[in-house]
Amino acid sequence: MTTGVRVEYQEELERLEASALGGLDLVSTALSRTLEAIEHQDVELAQIVVADDDRIDGRYLEVHQALITLLATQSPVATDLRLISALLHVLKNVERMGDQCVNICKMIPLTGNEPPADEEMVKMILAMGGQTKALISQAKRAFADRDVELARDLVIQDDAVDDLNRECFRHALQIGDDADRREWAMTMLLAARAIERIGDNAVDIGEQVAFVVTGLFREFEDASHPAG
Amino acid sequence: MPATGAARPEAETARAETETPTPLPSTGAATAPREAPSDRRAKTIETRDVNLFYGDFHAVQDVTMKVEPNKVTALIGSSGCGKTTFLRSLNRMHELTAGARVEGEITLDGQDVYASGVDPVAVRRLVGMVFQQPNPFPTMSIYDNVAAGLNLNVGRVKKAEKDEVVERSLRGAHLWEEVKDRLDRPGSSLSGGQQQRLCIARAIAIEPEVLLMDEPCSALDPVATLAIEDLIGELKSSYTIAIVTHNMQQASRASDITAFFNLEETGKPGRLIEIGPTEKIFTSPSQQATEDYVSGRFG
Repeated sequence: MTTGVRVEYQEELERLEASALGGLDLVSTALSRTLEAIEHQDVELAQIVVADDDRIDGRYLEVHQALITLLATQSPVATDLRLISALLHVLKNVERMGDQCVNICKMIPLTGNEPPADEEMVKMILAMGGQTKALISQAKRAFADRDVELARDLVIQDDAVDDLNRECFRHALQIGDDADRREWAMTMLLAARAIERIGDNAVDIGEQVAFVVTGLFREFEDASHPAG
Repeated sequence: MPATGAARPEAETARAETETPTPLPSTGAATAPREAPSDRRAKTIETRDVNLFYGDFHAVQDVTMKVEPNKVTALIGSSGCGKTTFLRSLNRMHELTAGARVEGEITLDGQDVYASGVDPVAVRRLVGMVFQQPNPFPTMSIYDNVAAGLNLNVGRVKKAEKDEVVERSLRGAHLWEEVKDRLDRPGSSLSGGQQQRLCIARAIAIEPEVLLMDEPCSALDPVATLAIEDLIGELKSSYTIAIVTHNMQQASRASDITAFFNLEETGKPGRLIEIGPTEKIFTSPSQQATEDYVSGRFG
């Protein structure tokens, strides 16, 4: 509940934050459907995910424009400025996550109408997807609660996704000599990679939580200079 | 400890110096020779435990801060927080108000501006001021407005030298091109923005070390305001500048350092809450009161 002066502005900012974070719910739904489409080789469901990405893009455009308007008309500073900057990053990540789901779903028709070629690899990808959905939910909660510790924990949770991604790769290497199975495995590797990127996007959102709270931007993990 | 007119023990004003400062001119001393523009350098103002009073009213409490050379320091805060009073204390204008007094220490490059025997007029020559309302002398020509400070502070000056100072000052204030063909017209014939730049030209004609500006753009339109802000940005290469402003965007645009003053409640003295790089004050201030003020949640 907003009190004091500039009430309308504060309420608008709160509304836009809720709307931007609501984009993560849209992504979570898209990822659930994507995983279901992978599991059941469901081309129709995959097409729905592709078509529904317009909703995510629409959310991006709508909230992005409103935030730019707030910047232009309300001269936000301090925490408000950091919040708006962070929300612009969150939106970009939401849009990218949606696109990754689309990328996966566009590949599903390429894998044919036969049952999945390797149950074990599908299980790994579904596990990755489940873990990544948890990451998305955690990123949203961390942002809404301005919980830096919860945001930092995203890195640890994301490690599990990365491990599964590497396991998928090792599994694909041993999938055998059959050309169709190998092609399927390569396609699934791309799907695994896309899911892994969604996890990274969730970690990026966590970094924005730390920026909003502390005013300092630090990557939790630097891919070009990994710790240890 | 009253400072105005009161002698103070040596130990209180002594400080470590990296170089020998030029002493401030004392009362009755001959006007100090002006330094050539190339020799001059901006000076540092430091305040320590400054308390300001109007009679019994305690207006400003315990302000310790530094106004750094070649930087613009913005003083912000809600009405009545004492920022203008504090600004006026820096060049001994506060004491012009009946009953006003200063406690604490204010130094200009290490020299106590309130030390016994220091001539307040000489301090004001070194620390010039530009006011909220443009205040050119209405009956004087543009030329004479700029030369006025020169006549008062330096005494008899050759016409050729005066011409040079007037032109240099008007150029420094970004006004020369607009008025060079009508220098004999009254200063009051200019627009508000031009009048304020004329006042800045008048202030810099006597080559002060520090420029204090008290809401210099509050009476100006947005274009004139931006022109003055551009000018402030250029002047800081030669001067120490402190500016009081109610315009948050102006503080964020035009200053390098921002000092936030606040008071607990009406009737209480204003205090310095936070001072730091402007970028930090407007992106991640360390005090909640600063955050609330710059975000427009009060004031």
